[in-house]
Amino acid sequence: MITININGKEIKLEKSVTVLEAAKAAGIKIPTLCWHEQLGQYGGCRLCLVEIEKIPKLQTACTLMVTEGMVIRTETEQTAEARRGMLEFLLINHPLDCPICDKAGECELQDLVEKYGAISGRFREKKRKIPESFADPLIVRNMERCVMCTRCVRMCEGVQGASAIGVIDRGGHSHIEPFSGGRYDCEYCGNCISVCPVGAIMSRMHKHSYRPWQVTGKTETICPYCGVGCTLVLQVRDNTIKRVIPRIGSPVNNGLLCSRGRFGYEFVGSKERLTTPLIRKNGVLEEATWEEAISLVANKLSDIKAKSGSDAIAGIASPRCTNEDNYVFQKFMRTTIGTNNIDSTARMGFAGAQAFMENIFGQGATANIISGLANSDTVLVVGGDPTTANPIFGLQVRACSRKGGNILTVGQMKGLEYFNPVKADPFLYTEEVLLEGIVTALIGKKGLPGANLTLEAKIKDINTSLDDVEKKCGVPAKELARFVDILAASATPALLIGKEIVQSSGASYKLLLLSAINYLANGRIYLLSERSNEQGLLDMGCAPDLLPGYRPVASAEFRKRYETLWDTKLNEKTGLTIFEMMDAASRGSLKALYVMGENPAFNLPNSSAAATALRNLEFLVVQDIFLTETAKLADVVLPALSWAEKDGTFTNMERRIQRVRKAVNRGGMEDWRIISDISKNMGVKLNYADTEKVFHEIAAVSPLHRNLTYEDIEDGHAIYPYKGEPLRDVMEEILTSKGKAARSTGKLYLRIERPLFHSGTLSTKAPALVKIYSRAVARISAETAASLSLDEGDIVRITTKAGAIELPVSIDKAADSSTVMLTNNFEGQGAYSLMEYTIDPVTKTPVLEGVEAKIVKMTGT
Amino acid sequence: MFNETVLKEIKQISGKYPTTRAALLPALYVAQREFGHLGADAYEAVSDVLGVPKAIARGVGTFYAMYKHKPMGRHIVQLCTNVSCMILGAEKLSDFLKNKYGLEPGGITPDGRFSLVIMECIGACGTAPAMLVNDDFYENLTEKYIEEILEKYK
Ligand code: SF4
Ligand code: SF4
Ligand code: SF4
Ligand code: FES
Ligand code: FES
Repeated sequence: MITININGKEIKLEKSVTVLEAAKAAGIKIPTLCWHEQLGQYGGCRLCLVEIEKIPKLQTACTLMVTEGMVIRTETEQTAEARRGMLEFLLINHPLDCPICDKAGECELQDLVEKYGAISGRFREKKRKIPESFADPLIVRNMERCVMCTRCVRMCEGVQGASAIGVIDRGGHSHIEPFSGGRYDCEYCGNCISVCPVGAIMSRMHKHSYRPWQVTGKTETICPYCGVGCTLVLQVRDNTIKRVIPRIGSPVNNGLLCSRGRFGYEFVGSKERLTTPLIRKNGVLEEATWEEAISLVANKLSDIKAKSGSDAIAGIASPRCTNEDNYVFQKFMRTTIGTNNIDSTARMGFAGAQAFMENIFGQGATANIISGLANSDTVLVVGGDPTTANPIFGLQVRACSRKGGNILTVGQMKGLEYFNPVKADPFLYTEEVLLEGIVTALIGKKGLPGANLTLEAKIKDINTSLDDVEKKCGVPAKELARFVDILAASATPALLIGKEIVQSSGASYKLLLLSAINYLANGRIYLLSERSNEQGLLDMGCAPDLLPGYRPVASAEFRKRYETLWDTKLNEKTGLTIFEMMDAASRGSLKALYVMGENPAFNLPNSSAAATALRNLEFLVVQDIFLTETAKLADVVLPALSWAEKDGTFTNMERRIQRVRKAVNRGGMEDWRIISDISKNMGVKLNYADTEKVFHEIAAVSPLHRNLTYEDIEDGHAIYPYKGEPLRDVMEEILTSKGKAARSTGKLYLRIERPLFHSGTLSTKAPALVKIYSRAVARISAETAASLSLDEGDIVRITTKAGAIELPVSIDKAADSSTVMLTNNFEGQGAYSLMEYTIDPVTKTPVLEGVEAKIVKMTGT
Repeated sequence: MFNETVLKEIKQISGKYPTTRAALLPALYVAQREFGHLGADAYEAVSDVLGVPKAIARGVGTFYAMYKHKPMGRHIVQLCTNVSCMILGAEKLSDFLKNKYGLEPGGITPDGRFSLVIMECIGACGTAPAMLVNDDFYENLTEKYIEEILEKYK
């Protein structure tokens, strides 16, 4: 116990902390500028100077540790004078342009000068002149205002891990610059903007458009983009979102954001938003009233149900809609329509991988806490770069490395390059052999633990030596041995699984190998999730074989339970997956499809075939906020509210249920309300007074969510298993199917690029994100470029069996020369339009491997 | 990018330090030798070899005045114009360099042969005026003597 005295107040402390922290604990505020609670101490600004008895000079409170008997005075003549002096120094060069500075009102320098002086400066020299830099589309730099606290640099390097900016030059010439001196070309997280105490770096999006005190509303909600589920604070004025900022102390992202979360909100106010229902008349979509549209949908669906049966109708749910929307939607499909034909794009990988892993390790096996990842001693990353798929989650991997943890990567992970990864980078499509090699070596090192005999029976005969791996995958045996040694020696390893491995041939076998690695190394699993409510929609039962809370449709006992709760008779037949729906639509056995907040004509592989299948339907209803590729094919289009305009909940990848809150008003209805209206018109009441009432019902029927209320989840700490109970673990037989290595040398294969700045097509409606990443490109290696004599920006035609598109090339010197990478974000230029697929028999995920592509240079364009 | 020999040289330097960041200063000297000065290419090349982010390499490099931060001639003339040298006519010599070679203080000859850096006292006051060409030292300068000296540097 240490006893100290601050400003005459006796304070007892458990352990030694800095004077600043001790004062804070005692409720005494010491002014700071370079210190920041996310960045810690730096000792550069000297505003925190305090008097300490028996030490002749003033000391910086942010760096000095308290010792027994220390007597501290924080506000004296002397400290005030010292602070005034320091501020006078800062004002030598700082312009007095507060009236036109967007930071005014939340500027720490302004507040400090207001409190301590200086009233006037004694320096006669001219202030330094540095023109404001508008070279970047998103970040304005005004270096005249910079006070050299280096918070931005410490944020970018020490927390974000991008190291994109630095202090350039020295002394009075020092300034902050990105490498190029102009454009940032960084990760555009904007976290440097958050920590800058003055108006030296600011977002261009809100330049001169408002002042902090003019913000009329602040709403805390959850990011609409990925499965990390970051807390966002939406600042609103005149019913428009003016700025999105994080909150220090929030769960998951704790004061940090990524580019999508921070800069991607403008789609809400987009002029392209759908405003009225549309009905196809004589082949064209025409504006209609809600009454018309709703009764048309209700009548059509009733007719088709009567004529062709319930199973001729299917629904596609949305990983961007709330739990409430998805719950009501699946209930509508199961009760009003009477079919289990409900699925979503979670079928693209997440759902299958999760089900596979849960069968082996028990329900909830992939529900692991994000913030805990940084404390792992080893993180093994497979199948996708977490720093682009789930950026804020990716920061945890970087933090783990900084704390001394080992990062093991399979395949290229650009975002982890500077974090000392130990790499196993196998030839394209040879991961299976590599993983077998790891399993064999781990069994050799650690033996079989004997805890899960079913799993052990499947893996005990795997025998691939490190030399085999070297031969087939090109990973040197010595390097892989080191990789395995690290893994075997870890006490708290974590395994991160991205989509690419789930979408490869033999996915189930690879998942078995990954499960084996996880089992042998005694690790925990994280599944990357690219949509904000992918997990929630599965929890809600938007799957053809599962009722809410993952109760299998096939079980009569569970069906009975839901029949009682819903007062209905349930269809006992397992429904169609999203891919089976497309097949059934092209065969003609599926007559009607109701799509809520999804875009199968673009987001499913072989998307043009999907579009053809959709055209073949008798009736297509699309409910969305934009006129998507799918909506353009619809018979009825229903405009929905966006995430910022409604209440509800999202469940993130660690299975944390969090509140989505309405920030702006817009006429129209939530997705669930539209569906409930249609249901009413079909003679089945699905009435709820408000969103919270929907949640009450979820909490009443889903055994996972038992008795959970909005109040319980208010603080963001409602984590799986929520309040109810998971399904008892009944392990089924582990089915797997091996892949066939599909690569032959000298060929080019098409792969999906998942860019940091985009998510689906939604982000392309956010102008700020488009400014940073503005068009689709074909990313090829320097080798490929050379062999085809291509320069950066040349237009090429990429052809596969499924189709062809023309795109500019972008040359990436680190790229694999056997691949061409394409995104699936930009309208009319999606990679999926070129990808035919087969379905993995076990995981039911599409196999997007081995798509051969040809590239031809276009001349005269 | 560096050639194989240079890569090896930097790797070797880096091996002597506990972290790759610690090897930045000597690696930047090598890059300066290879590229002539520290510009974007040089920083990127060093960043690639050492695995240190390029913005950090640049931050470190620009802190030090002793690196060359812009393109320099093949030979660097460092002429002193401090008190003793000035009194003995260094400023006239500077004018001479400008008129005869087109070499201005801080500048470079159009053919890229020489750069001129004006120095503060280089410790040769007794034999002023004085200058350095690369690492060679010359004193008691006159216009004619300078002409002779510069002939040796092609
Ligand atoms: S936006 Fe992010 S990545 Fe870019 S400079 Fe700022 S902190 Fe670094
Ligand atoms: S730009 Fe802002 S955060 Fe960065 S050093 Fe200057 S004042 Fe500090
Ligand atoms: S990491 Fe995901 S949830 Fe968080 S801000 Fe970025 S896109 Fe949104
Ligand atoms: S806050 Fe202590 S020196 Fe800046
Ligand atoms: S003044 Fe020129 S060498 Fe001293």
